[in-house]
Amino acid sequence: MANLSQTMTVPGQQDTPPEKAAIEVANLSHIYAGAQGAVPALEDISMSVGSGRFVVIVGPSGCGKTSLLMMLAGLRAQSQGTILCHGRPISNPDPQRVGVIFQEASLYPWLTALDNIEFPLSLRGAPRDERRRRAQAMLILVGLEGFGERYPHELSGGMKQRVSIARGLVQDPPVLLMDEPFAALDEQTRMTMGHELLRIWSKTSKTVVFITHSLTEAVFLADEVLVMSARPGRIIDRIAVTLTRPRTYEMMATDAFGQLRERIWHQIRKAD
Amino acid sequence: MSRAQIIMTRLALLALVLAAWELLPRHQVVNPLLLPPLGDVLSMLGKLLLQARVHEAIGVTAAEVVVAFLIAVPLGAVLGVLIAESDYLGEVFKPMLFYVFSIPKSIFLPMFILAFGITFAQKVAYAAFTTTFVVMISAATAVESVKQDYILVARSYGATRAQILMRVYVPSMMPLLLEALRISMIFNFTGVMIAEMYASRTGIGHMISGWGENFQMPELFAGVILLSAVAVLFNEAVRFFEARCSAWRT
Repeated sequence: MANLSQTMTVPGQQDTPPEKAAIEVANLSHIYAGAQGAVPALEDISMSVGSGRFVVIVGPSGCGKTSLLMMLAGLRAQSQGTILCHGRPISNPDPQRVGVIFQEASLYPWLTALDNIEFPLSLRGAPRDERRRRAQAMLILVGLEGFGERYPHELSGGMKQRVSIARGLVQDPPVLLMDEPFAALDEQTRMTMGHELLRIWSKTSKTVVFITHSLTEAVFLADEVLVMSARPGRIIDRIAVTLTRPRTYEMMATDAFGQLRERIWHQIRKAD
Repeated sequence: MSRAQIIMTRLALLALVLAAWELLPRHQVVNPLLLPPLGDVLSMLGKLLLQARVHEAIGVTAAEVVVAFLIAVPLGAVLGVLIAESDYLGEVFKPMLFYVFSIPKSIFLPMFILAFGITFAQKVAYAAFTTTFVVMISAATAVESVKQDYILVARSYGATRAQILMRVYVPSMMPLLLEALRISMIFNFTGVMIAEMYASRTGIGHMISGWGENFQMPELFAGVILLSAVAVLFNEAVRFFEARCSAWRT
């Protein structure tokens, strides 16, 4: 495992900066009207996510991570600042550019797994054949072949989240936003799902912004980890994770992995 | 216990009750003047169903039930959705709604008679009045049962307001709506019956109260069987759809 510590100091993908940013956030601030007056929620956030990169945001509870993600998705408006996605501003949800995967799988319980995956396509009136074909392909991609006719209550937590990922990918958006997608899963399933996500990601070359509470998950998944402070949320550190890909479970036991996690933990403790 | 066993047990119990109803009065164990044997009641029901004045009464009652239902359900649904969707209206009216809901509605019946006279409109107005509250509360509950996450997901995939309504609200609320429809029909039917029995010149409820006052027990029980059958049939029909629409609920 000596070569692993080398990858720490010799950056891999890090030294070729991405030519084009998929997401660019400039001086974003958000203030919301609370019961006792204006509450600053996010403060002067600037970040750039290169095309095809996997960026993880961590931070204490209530720091505004989810708000930030909702703004990136065009689901909530910011008070100030700009968000560009592939060069164009985001102000409304645009499923062609951005797919969102939520904390609870949020599948529609009255639809089968396949119908759930087809849902975004059916909203824009895609022909039935095309919908079926693409949904089937996504189902296979997330490893659920043969489970298409099951209803959500007939699926395990991990399987539901797989369906949710398939639904997020079905329109083939270049950007995937994930809000603590594995938080409700048990530890073991969570690790497996992280590994699965990386497999899917490597096949689809999406840009991913992923929110989590788990530092292990953050280091395991990310090219880059952004650490946010407690409210008002600011980005207080950016940590490049230079572990080689594909990531393996064994890497978690290495010093390099431990040091990265330690550094994030140190920043979060300071931030809280 | 297996499904078949449970059904057999139920049928056996039903048969036992019906047999007791036939045999106990027949052999004077129970006073047949108070409880006429089942056979007599059924033959009376057959005779009544052939009478023109009974047909007329059924027609009037059915019309009252249907008209009251057609007024109360849309009215209650719209008001219920309004108080569930608007924070302001919800804050203002919800507590009041629960206060009013707790009051027995029958105490208002004399006022309806004063306002409408002993008429078709009085039955309909009173039944619609009692039913609207149930529909309102059910509709508000149904709207609130729709998870915010479901709406957020649809919005993130670019759903329009109309699509959110048709593709998220409607299927999500469907089981509760059907249940509301069923319960409101029970209230509606009860409202019409009370109004008819209290003050009326026609209708099945009026006939039943008349038979009771004149101690015509076979007629009275025949009327009870008729109304029970209609009510149970409607209820079961809606429940059948309810079960089909809520297979996904666990």
